[in-house]
Amino acid sequence: MIPLSHFMIISAALFCIGLFAVLTKRNAIQILIGIEFMINAAILNFVAAGRFDRVAGGGQMFALFAIVLAAAGVAVALAIILNVYKHFRTINPDKIDTLKN
Amino acid sequence: MDFLTFSANTLCLLSLIALVFPFSSFLVILQLKKSQGATISIFNISVSLIASLLVFINVWNSTTLQQQVEWFQVGTVSISAGILLNNLSVLMMVLVSAISLLVHIYSISYMKGDENIYKYWAYLGLFCFSMMGLVISDSLLLIYMFWELVGMSSYLLIGFWFTKDAASQAAKKAFIMNRIGDLGFLTGLMIIYSQFGTFDIGRLFNVGGLVDSASIINGFWISESASVPVIWLTIAGLAFFIGAMTKSAQFPLHTWLPDAMQGPTSVSSLIHAATMVAAGVFLLGRVYPLFDSIALNTITVVGVFTAFMAATIALTQNDIKRILAYSTISQLGFMIAAMGIGAYGESIFHLATHAFFKCLLFLAAGSVIHQLHHYKEHHSLEFNHQDIRLMGGLRKQMPIAFITMCIAAAALAGLPFTSGFLSKDAILITSFEWAEGYHGFKKLVPFVLVLTSWLTVFYIGRLIFKVFFGKSNYKGVKDAPWPMTRILLILAFFSLFPLFSVNPLSYDNSWLLQGFVPAGVKPFDIFHLLVPIIVTGISAIIVLISYKLYGGTATKQLPENGLLYRFSNRAWYLDRVYDLLFVRSITALSIISHKFDTLIVDGLVNSLAGLARIISDIIHWFDRHVVDGLVNGIASLASKTGDFARQFQTGKLQHYLITMLTLVVTFFIITYLI
Repeated sequence: MIPLSHFMIISAALFCIGLFAVLTKRNAIQILIGIEFMINAAILNFVAAGRFDRVAGGGQMFALFAIVLAAAGVAVALAIILNVYKHFRTINPDKIDTLKN
Repeated sequence: MDFLTFSANTLCLLSLIALVFPFSSFLVILQLKKSQGATISIFNISVSLIASLLVFINVWNSTTLQQQVEWFQVGTVSISAGILLNNLSVLMMVLVSAISLLVHIYSISYMKGDENIYKYWAYLGLFCFSMMGLVISDSLLLIYMFWELVGMSSYLLIGFWFTKDAASQAAKKAFIMNRIGDLGFLTGLMIIYSQFGTFDIGRLFNVGGLVDSASIINGFWISESASVPVIWLTIAGLAFFIGAMTKSAQFPLHTWLPDAMQGPTSVSSLIHAATMVAAGVFLLGRVYPLFDSIALNTITVVGVFTAFMAATIALTQNDIKRILAYSTISQLGFMIAAMGIGAYGESIFHLATHAFFKCLLFLAAGSVIHQLHHYKEHHSLEFNHQDIRLMGGLRKQMPIAFITMCIAAAALAGLPFTSGFLSKDAILITSFEWAEGYHGFKKLVPFVLVLTSWLTVFYIGRLIFKVFFGKSNYKGVKDAPWPMTRILLILAFFSLFPLFSVNPLSYDNSWLLQGFVPAGVKPFDIFHLLVPIIVTGISAIIVLISYKLYGGTATKQLPENGLLYRFSNRAWYLDRVYDLLFVRSITALSIISHKFDTLIVDGLVNSLAGLARIISDIIHWFDRHVVDGLVNGIASLASKTGDFARQFQTGKLQHYLITMLTLVVTFFIITYLI
């Protein structure tokens, strides 16, 4: 049986890859993909932890909810990106620095 | 004469009219600034004369009037002001207004063409007003105020031709010398007030008044309210005398008077005859009961000495007005000396007669000066038209001036049938009678006075003979115009005996003398006979001598470089002495104090300033570096912090995320690993 720690390592690796993508990418879509990576790392954790709750299946339940929420979140984020592109004619987050001014 | 008899109230009103009218001419003329003030002035002074005459008729030898109102109140002290009319004041009123009127009329012609003529009339008005006020006031304080006003207006008049340097210097000198006397007067005033608590002349000096009833016990002068050592009585008397000394030009405070000749001659005449110089004698008359024997002796000595000194100076002067000025000083010495020996009435008598003949002398001299001045301008010549050495032979050219001046000179010399004879004899005889009761230096007094009167004869003879006899240098000089000469004629009449006494050779029955308390001396008939004869006899001889010396066509030149001559000509070097003693020493003192000021006071101030500068430099440094440094440091800290914090606010999404990540990771590291 695969021990929990393997899941944890993979999950952590996934999270780090996602985080790296979020922090470094020059494209909002790629950042969004990074975020998906990080959410999925979390979901993987839920599912892995669900092994210890076979009766109620709490981990799986939370994973389902998280997937739905992530899907909704991606929808919203894409809508924002679309609007940002309309407004700034770019989706490079480095160029969009109106927060500063 | 019933219609000329008035009630007391009317009389006071009349004397107020006599006082206020000249003042109104002062105000009105200064307001109008018309070139013609003559009509107003002469009208006002005439009203004043008429009012004075009416008052005189009613008061003389019949009553003494005093009316007063409360003037002001300080705390519980109430000072009153009012009018005191007695023989002395009504006589002075008439004298002042009469002489003033004559001088006013004379001035119309004399001052004709002066560009500031309206000021002249205004100042004359002020002068008469102050003199009238001085005469009729019943309070020493009021007299003091008018006394100052007299000094002030004399300053204005002497300096009337203020563009002439000598005139403005003379005016200043007169004013400053008079301040010394004012100080004396003020001292006397304060002593009187602290002793008796009142300025009221009536209450103070009447028979049985405060001064009379104050007693001297054990060296203390005791009045109702106060008691002081008796020396204060003497000091009070001497203080008032110092006041009188300056106004009446007594040695050693007489030097302003000859210089005052810089004013117009009509002004000199007014000042010398009846007004300013008479004020001192008048003051002595007013406070007479105050003098004790020391004060009286001082007065006598000063009077006699002044009379003698001024006569010796007059001997050698060459300026016609200066001779007359010194003769005024000399005659005032006679009056003061008469006051000192107790011959109160005789002194006032001489004051009255002197007023007329001295006024005449000045006005006649003025007419000569006036004519010569016009001659000089007409022929555009350059010579001193007041120098008697350059005159001569004017007898035929100016007969009226000659005759009137001869009468006045005779009166001054005390020759018979003139008013001066009466009053001078009165003083001389009284002085002989007075000296009978004493030994020592007091015996000298009458002899010095007689000697002085002979000197008087000589110098006035010299003046007359030099001016009117001998050869004339000026062709075509005529008598002054009628408006001037008529005044001379009127005054010439007043300088003769009938105005004062029916008997031309004896003063005993003079109405004027009978108006005053007789001198308290034992009469000696022998003097009444001998003194006039001897004095007049020798006077006649002296007239002849002076005619021989100066009257001939070929005048012999007397040596003019002897020690005595120079001593006399330079007026006993008194001006030089005063210059050395007071002017130079004060100048030296002021130079020293200037040095003290620049070196020590300024040095102190400057070093203090330097110290303050150093301290302020330190404070400046401290401010700049410490206080500012602190503030700037705090500011730059805040700015640095801000700059540091700004670095994180790039506005870029991912930077924020990195920051958050860093913080969270740091937090976790701190929480779990350490």
